[in-house]
Amino acid sequence: MILTIAWRNIWRNRRRSLIVLISIVVGVAALMFNDGMSVGMIHQMLENRIGSHVTHIQIHAKGFNDNQVIQNYVPNPALVEQALASTDGIDSWSRRVVTFGLLSSALNSSGGLIIGVDPAQEHEVTTIAESIVEGEYLSGGTHEVVIGRKLAEKLQVGLGDKVVGMASAISGDVGSDLFRVVGIFETVSSEFDKTHMFTALPNAQSMLELEDNILEYAMVVTDIEQVEQVAAELRSKLGPDYEVLTYNTLLPMLVAQLEMYDQMMYVVYVIIGLAMIFGIVNTMLMSVFERIQEFGVLMAIGMKNSILFWMVIFEAAILGVIGTVIGLAIGSASVLIMGSIGLDFSMFAEGLTSFGAGAIIYPKLTLTTITNVSVIIPLTAVLGAVYPAIRAMRLQPVTAIRYV
Amino acid sequence: MEVIRLKHIEKTYSDNGVPVHALRGIDLSISQGEFVVIAGPSGSGKTTLLNIMGALDKATEGQVFLEKEDVSDKSKDEIAAFRLEKLGFIFQAYNLIPVLTAIENVEFTMMLLGIDEDRRRERALEVMRDLDIEELAEKRPNEMSGGQQQRVAVARAIVNNPSIILADEPTANLDSETGANLLDLMEKMNREHNLTFIFSSHDKQVIDRARRLMILKDGLIESDTVVAPTE
Repeated sequence: MILTIAWRNIWRNRRRSLIVLISIVVGVAALMFNDGMSVGMIHQMLENRIGSHVTHIQIHAKGFNDNQVIQNYVPNPALVEQALASTDGIDSWSRRVVTFGLLSSALNSSGGLIIGVDPAQEHEVTTIAESIVEGEYLSGGTHEVVIGRKLAEKLQVGLGDKVVGMASAISGDVGSDLFRVVGIFETVSSEFDKTHMFTALPNAQSMLELEDNILEYAMVVTDIEQVEQVAAELRSKLGPDYEVLTYNTLLPMLVAQLEMYDQMMYVVYVIIGLAMIFGIVNTMLMSVFERIQEFGVLMAIGMKNSILFWMVIFEAAILGVIGTVIGLAIGSASVLIMGSIGLDFSMFAEGLTSFGAGAIIYPKLTLTTITNVSVIIPLTAVLGAVYPAIRAMRLQPVTAIRYV
Repeated sequence: MEVIRLKHIEKTYSDNGVPVHALRGIDLSISQGEFVVIAGPSGSGKTTLLNIMGALDKATEGQVFLEKEDVSDKSKDEIAAFRLEKLGFIFQAYNLIPVLTAIENVEFTMMLLGIDEDRRRERALEVMRDLDIEELAEKRPNEMSGGQQQRVAVARAIVNNPSIILADEPTANLDSETGANLLDLMEKMNREHNLTFIFSSHDKQVIDRARRLMILKDGLIESDTVVAPTE
């Protein structure tokens, strides 16, 4: 019956309750959409970096990631490939030679990453082949190179033009080779497109005097949730002469950004929660003051303070729960709809592509957001009612009954 | 059997720092089944006395015994529990809970006692039938007349079988015919169930029904007369 009274009391002042309800609904929906947008954007940045080059797991010789010198090549590629073949959960993998170098055209030059790949294998682990916007992907032929759109613009080269690649060879001399641009790619990251070029593995090995040696194995796993388990299994199989690194280690800034964003979201929750608390306190105080005489009567006929306290709390909790449920429904629906069609931010494309997010953002609904909102918002509503409920409890029946 | 005993009750209020002596030393005893009216001019202390007898207010000095139990030093919750079980209240402004129907209002105190839904519904209907207000069961207070609301308030006051009913100016907002009907009803309850009724009123028709009449003046009992002995 206390719940019945609380429920009916809410609708005594329909307009006021609706205003509170709407403010909760709008707050929850906006919070979810904002969360969905940010999580979506950061995940896109992460997925784009993983998809364009980093992949889920990389294997190198011990210490290569910190000191990327070509002398530190994989000691025993056969051992690595055997481990890859015998480990469950790996979808595909690719051999690579990766080095920093200088790429020059007749008109300009630019520093960047020269990557030698097996074109067929690389096609399975990254999206470079799909990102070709002019010309073709590597066929495996000698002296072929594909470069990013921004790099091509900087070097002022087009399809069929020659570029010279230079990098430190294993002997310590400068290794160089002449390449012909067969394709230009454009990913969602302009920074990536400015600094990466791909050629067939033998070309890079020859230029760097690496013979058949490999500097990096890159792979994608079938289930990203299992990435750490797969990496651990590979580590145990390969031993201490190798490093097996997941994208969490390979993209520390981005992962840190994602973690920092999670922390920042709590700050947003606190800010929205505080704004909501003041609204609830105000509403519930008004509601309590309007019913002082009624509370006096309830106390006079024998209602205990604790029951009176909970009656006021229930009213706020009901508003909080209804507002949260409706807000969750609207927020989830909008995130899911926009998540499937995407939000076009072409007008900010320059900025977004430099961040590696892409001009179309796909908001993402996460269980964490739903859980946080479902717990924090009703709890905030309840917290907002505590002070008014205490005020109601402190009333003296004899004075409350006579209150006008 | 004695149901109320007051021992040298004093009540002093502070009105903007000026002490106001509402009660100046009241001693009285009321027995089961009495039909008492406390009358007196405005400001004589009638309502204050009734509030102290109902444990709604605390005396500045003195002791209050309800059913031989000293309630002067009980906690707020203990007093609330005592009021719930032993006392029934009828107010001048009816004071029904506006969001509840008549029957829910009557059931309310039983709910506070933890009585299950079926039993309290049955008991509430029984009392409403006795008071001839069964047809009001599903009406909200704003759908009832003043007299009807006051009858529901009476039902709420007696439903837990309290030993004492305290009524503060119960007829003040009613026309004389409705007031008379209400008093008939209360007299009937007093007669048939030996319920103790204590009124605070300056309504002549209430005073005329008194079987014990106390006149208060300036916080003191000026006279305490048994008009007609309790049956």
